[in-house]
This record gives sequence, C-alpha cells and structure tokens, in this order.
Amino acid sequence: MDAAAELIELLGAARVHTHPIDRQIFAKDAGVSVGDPAIVVLPETTEEVAAIMRIAVRAGPPVVARGAGTGLAGGAVPAAGSILVVLTRMNEIYEVDEIGRTAWVGPGVINLDLSDALTEVGLHFAPDPSSQQSSTVGGNTATNAGGPHCLAEGSTIAHVLGVEVVTADGEVVMLGGAAPDLPGYDLRGLIVGSEGTLGLVTRVLVRLTENPPDVATMLIAFDDINDAARTVSDIIASGLVPAALEIMDNSMVQAIENFVKADLPLGAAAVLLAEVVGHADGVAAEAEIIRGVADQNRATEIRTATDGAERALLWKGRKSAFGAVAQAAPDYYLNDAVVPRTRFVEVLEEIYGIADLHGLRLMSVFHAGDGNLHPLVSYDAAEFGMTEKVITASREMVRVAVAAGGTLSGEHGIGLEKRDMMSQVFTADDLDAQARIREAFDPDLRLNPGKVLPEGSRCFDRPPR
Amino acid sequence: MTSLRAVTLQLFDRLKDDSVDVDAAHVVAPSSVEEAAAILAAAAEAGIPTAFRGSGTHQGYGNSVSADLVVTSTRLDTIINWQPDDLTIVVQAGVPIDVLEAEIATRRQTAVLPELMPRSTVGGAVAIGLSGYRRLRFGPTRDRVLQVRIATGYGKVVTGGSPVVKSSTGYGLPRLVTGSLGSLGMIGEVTLKLWSQPMSVATVEVGDAAVALHDLYRPLAVLETSEGSFVYLGGPEAQISDQSDRLDAVSRRGLAWPESISEPIQLELRVPAAHLATAVEWMSRLGAIRWIAQHGVGIVSGGFDEFDADGFAAARSWAESVAGALVFTAGSRESFDPWGSPPASIEIQRRIKHAFDPAGICNPSILAGGP
Repeated sequence: MDAAAELIELLGAARVHTHPIDRQIFAKDAGVSVGDPAIVVLPETTEEVAAIMRIAVRAGPPVVARGAGTGLAGGAVPAAGSILVVLTRMNEIYEVDEIGRTAWVGPGVINLDLSDALTEVGLHFAPDPSSQQSSTVGGNTATNAGGPHCLAEGSTIAHVLGVEVVTADGEVVMLGGAAPDLPGYDLRGLIVGSEGTLGLVTRVLVRLTENPPDVATMLIAFDDINDAARTVSDIIASGLVPAALEIMDNSMVQAIENFVKADLPLGAAAVLLAEVVGHADGVAAEAEIIRGVADQNRATEIRTATDGAERALLWKGRKSAFGAVAQAAPDYYLNDAVVPRTRFVEVLEEIYGIADLHGLRLMSVFHAGDGNLHPLVSYDAAEFGMTEKVITASREMVRVAVAAGGTLSGEHGIGLEKRDMMSQVFTADDLDAQARIREAFDPDLRLNPGKVLPEGSRCFDRPPR
Repeated sequence: MTSLRAVTLQLFDRLKDDSVDVDAAHVVAPSSVEEAAAILAAAAEAGIPTAFRGSGTHQGYGNSVSADLVVTSTRLDTIINWQPDDLTIVVQAGVPIDVLEAEIATRRQTAVLPELMPRSTVGGAVAIGLSGYRRLRFGPTRDRVLQVRIATGYGKVVTGGSPVVKSSTGYGLPRLVTGSLGSLGMIGEVTLKLWSQPMSVATVEVGDAAVALHDLYRPLAVLETSEGSFVYLGGPEAQISDQSDRLDAVSRRGLAWPESISEPIQLELRVPAAHLATAVEWMSRLGAIRWIAQHGVGIVSGGFDEFDADGFAAARSWAESVAGALVFTAGSRESFDPWGSPPASIEIQRRIKHAFDPAGICNPSILAGGP
C-alpha cells in the first residue's frame, strides 16, 4: 500500500487530499515562495499525527507542518513530494487553569480566539502578531511570533511553558510543563521558534497574562520621523518599558486612513502609538512621562484614547496596516530585521535610501520599542522582474540592519526566505552547532527539510585530527 | 593514549589557576572563549573528564562529578559592552553578579539575577538556570539570555542567539545552554537583556500571600516564608501607594528579601503554581527548618539539618505526580539522587548531550538520566 492509501485508511478520504487543485491551495504561505506537497492531510488528534509520521517514516517522504498559512518567511511552504500536515482542525481549548494562569490548547486554536475565550476570567494570551485574527497558536509557536505587546511581555517563547510533540520517529513526548525549571535540557525552548524542523507540536501549554486594570493608549504625531524614533529611545532611557511602542510613517498612515478611517493625522511624517498599562494611578504617571518626552522631541499632536472604543480604533489602524497597503499595489514584501534601538534612526535613513535607489515605494510600520523593523515595499508582481528587484532591495535592507549589530528576523522566522542569509549572522561553526541540534531531534532530516539552516550547515567534511 | 593524556595534562599547567582550591589534578583558567575551546579540544581528544567552576558558590547542583580537570572562569571577568539605551549588556562568564548589578545600577538598570547571591558569577547563574525572586514580574533568567558564546565539548567556539532584545533567527541555543550545568561545554560570554529598575519599590507584610497575589497587578514577587508572607511592589510612586492601600498593610520602602536558606541540606519543590499551597504543606511535614515559597512561580525552597530519606521520597513522588519535581540543591549527593525521575524526553536529551560533547567529558552524567 502506498502512503496515500495508508493515509486514507487512517483519516478517511475527506481528510486526505492529493488532487492538484487541493495541493495548490496549500502550496504557499503568505510569503512569495511556492512549494509542491504530494499529499495534504488534516489530522484531528495527536494519535493521528503520530500515525501520519510513522507512515512517513516507512514510506520516506518529508513531513511539513502548517497552521493557518499566515507566515511570511516560507516556513510552511511544503517541500516537493512532502506530506503536508495541516493542524487547523486541532483547535480545541482543552483546559484553563485560572489559578495557575495556564491553558492547554490545540495548535490550531486561533490566537485571538484564545484571548477572546478568556475575557470572562480576565486573562489573555500575550503574543499579538498582526495576523492574530487568523494565525494559530501552533504557528505562533513555530515562528516564536511577536507583536506590538511583546515589547514588555516578551515573544511567544515567554508564553509557551510546555509542548506535546510528535517526534520525527512518530513518538509522542512532552517537553516542559507548568512547573518551573524542570530537570534536564530546556527542549521546549528549542522547539519554540524551530519552524517545524524539530517536531510537530500537537498541544501547547500556554502561559496566560492577566488583563491590566487600566490602559492608556496615546497617539503622538511628529513632523520628522527621526523625532519619533528619538522619542522612543528617550522613553526607554527614562526607565519606562511601556506595553507597546509602534511607529508608522506617513505613507503608511495615508494607506491606513484610506482603508479603515482610524482618524489618524494625515499630515504627520510619523505617528507613534504608545501604550501603558497597570493600576490607574501608575498609568496616569507613566502617560505623563511619555507626554513630557514627546513634547521635548517636538511632537505636533498628542491624543490619549479615553475609552475602549477609541483605543480599539487606534489599534485597528495599526493592525490593518498590511491590509491597507493592498490598495496601493497588489503585492507587498516586507522583512522583519531587528536593530539595536540606539541605531534605529541611522538604519531607517539608510533603508529609505535603498528604496529610493531602486525606485521602490516604501511604507513602514514597526515595533519601534524593540528595534524590530518592518520596511514594506508595495509593488505589482505582474510587472516584469519586479519581484526579484524588491527581494534584492529587501536583502540590502537586512544587510544594513545586520551591519548595525542587528539580526535577520525578530518574529517572522527564517523559513526559506532568509535561510541563505544565515551566514551573515552565524559562522560555519555556529551553523554546524544548530545542525547538530536538528540531527539530535531528526537524524533523517525528515521534518520541513530545506528550512532555517542553509545547505551544508553540518560540517561533515571536516578532516579528523 | 596514556602518554597523550600525560602530555595534555602538562600543557594545562601553563594555564594553571592557583586561586581555586579544589580536588582535581589540574585547575586551569582560560582568558578567552577561544582558549577554553582549545582546552576542551585537548581534553576531548585525551578523554579527560572536565568540570567547570565559577566562584564555587553552587557546587551542590546535579549529580556529583569526578573530574581530572577543572576549568574556571576566573580570568573571564570583563564587562565587555553595556548599552544602557538598548537595555543590553555583554559580559564574560566570570563576572560576579554583584559587580554586574552595581555597574548597571548607576543607570538604574538591573539584570534581574538572583538577589542574594552576590559572589556567584553570571556564568554560574546561567549554567544552573538560577532566577531571582523578581521572576514573577520579569520572567526567569532564561528569558533574558539573548546570546551565548560557548566552548563546546568538541572544542569549538559557538555563538547562539542574537545580540538584540527580540529575535526569531535560528534555534534557541541560549535556552538550551541555560540550565545545562556545563554538560555541553563552557559558557564564556553571555548577552543579557536588562530591565529598568522600577521608579519606586516597597515591601509589604501580608496575612495571606495567595490572596495578595490575586488582588495585585504584577507585583515584583510574592513570598510566603517560615517567617511570614511578603509582597514586593515596584512601579511609579502613585501606583505603590495605591497598592499598599489596597493591601491595607504597612509598607516599608525598599526591597527586604528574606535571608537565604543556609541549612546543610537544601531542596526545592518545583510545581505548577496552582499546587504551591500543597508544596508548602509538604515543607512543614518534612520538618524544614526554614522555607521560602514563591507564589505565582511554583517554587518552594527548604533547608534541613537531617536527611529524611522516606519523607523526601514521598514528597518527590507527590511532586512528580503533579508534573513537578523535587530537586536537591545542596548537601551530600552520595545518599540521594538530586533530580528524581529523568524527563520523558531523555532519549533526545542524550542525543543533544552527544551532539555537543561527543567524547562525554563535560561534567559527565551531571543531569537527570545521565546527560
């Protein structure tokens, strides 16, 4: 019996797809690369995922995991001939521990659905990527996703306490857990951010964060984007770590305003969104500090959202950014390089310079507080040679960020997109060590082959001394 | 092999560290990560079991190791690059926690390392995975190790992680190394994420720690101890006053941490936070002389004068039944197993150990289940 027949016997024909149209639907994520899976399967239980893996071990094809497919780096783009395991049906919230502030959830639970389900108990799942209305907790775990609020709360890694994993040989193993500092290596810490290359996550134990008693969201406008950037640096230097610090440039503000009418100041060169949370008195005090810093840096307008509706509108504007750019041109491409906060202004200038040089339209919205850039080029892929030109420019932007002491990705992951740039930030010995980790989990390199680590990372050819 | 071993050991004499008094044939102090890697390459080739040592304050962790060679971080004692405005710092492993914290306190910053271990080194804290009480507010140490430079058991210098506060670039080597107890190699240098110190802080004695934790938004720590329960607050002055009022209790300025546990036998119950109250009951049932429970975190540390094999075994069995652990952190390791049951992932753990230390020379068998 071939793999497809075995999988149909396991899952039923309705959850196994081999038709070219079905395979095409799942051939890419939200990025630019396209793959070609041989079989697409939709398991509903851990046991089914383990059985799928054992079939793959016998039959030989690679195995690639996929959540909602909102990834931008090609991490879920299926290798040719692979079995693509779509985990969106494993979307149950199993148990919520209100006292310990944890929950066991399926990898297919949608990020925002989880937080919405917790409103009544006053808790939420802190990672809030812009994709949170559709991205899954499993996908967030795979990419170590971030979002505006990871400035103070940390990325997904700080909110995943344990994972149930189907290993490359089809075993089910629990890594980490609700207890702190469990004996042994922190393999949970390796799985998070490993982009499906070390195991298939079938359940996630998430840490839940209490909803703050009070929130102030401020919109601060500037005539010069450098003033906005300096405001961010000065706020951090003042000793505050606000819940979020986000900058949008003028072209992004225009696009957003056209799209969702969030009442953003259209004439501003840059808009800074700042949010502070805590008890009412503390929030007022921190908002006052931010106001002072902004004034010193020539803010032209400062607005504080006074109720939940106003706050929601401000955030809606920010989170609609990627939808908004679709009006400008049919396609967009962005990277998520990180720079040290202190190098922010100069790197930004260079990045705008690169876009100008290539004659590209750059819009920018970024997690300014932690130096995580999102320079976004909007373009038309139908135009001959345009995609290549955009990717070339984007790579130059990443190189500038790395040269300033930064790194390739803050929250999207490496996937296929940045795999061949890994040698910009890691030596051959560094990559070899990462390849050793991959081999320890997956000696046959069955899981999501060709992602994260460039070919030849493992230094097999080193002569014995 | 024997003669190679002798030659190798002689070479180590050149890097001798006389400042440390330990029971090993050779004690050496490399002055760079590259030197540490060269030492480990030689030790691996000659099959010399090797241990690592910072200031020696936490030698009670893990299975006991008999090593012919001890590599110390004595000469790795430099703060390499502090960027206050980026809230990051690069330090060598041998820098003592108090030296680091004193330096960055000049700009009102903190690395949130353990509060009461002044002489312990940064490398030691990372190797053990030690966190301070303020982890309730700021997360465990492993969430703040952004980048590591290690000398691996196969004698190479390897950098993992990224030098910035946020990254999704390659595997989380810093997290693997944090808590690995020198079983993969030697930590030479770490980049840490810093936090600003709260604008003001206060310590409040409360009647019921669990209730206080539930009522407050994000205290720095909530400790229940054999001497009373205390809440540690941090934030803008207005917020501190507001929270103190809410607790209806007298607050003191500053952070008054309980004295460290100093009894000869020390253990920790590490359990899901929801089981903390039961863990506290276990401490008194076992006859702990002193204990400190971290609410919201799930750790109770206790100090004992006498070894109660049956009692400790029963407590361990309870802790493991709630997916926790009982871990000994000080005392003679001849009479008991410091870890308890090995993790479910022991096969992968062993393969990771082998990947970084193929000759099996780095703190052999120090971890649960043998890695």
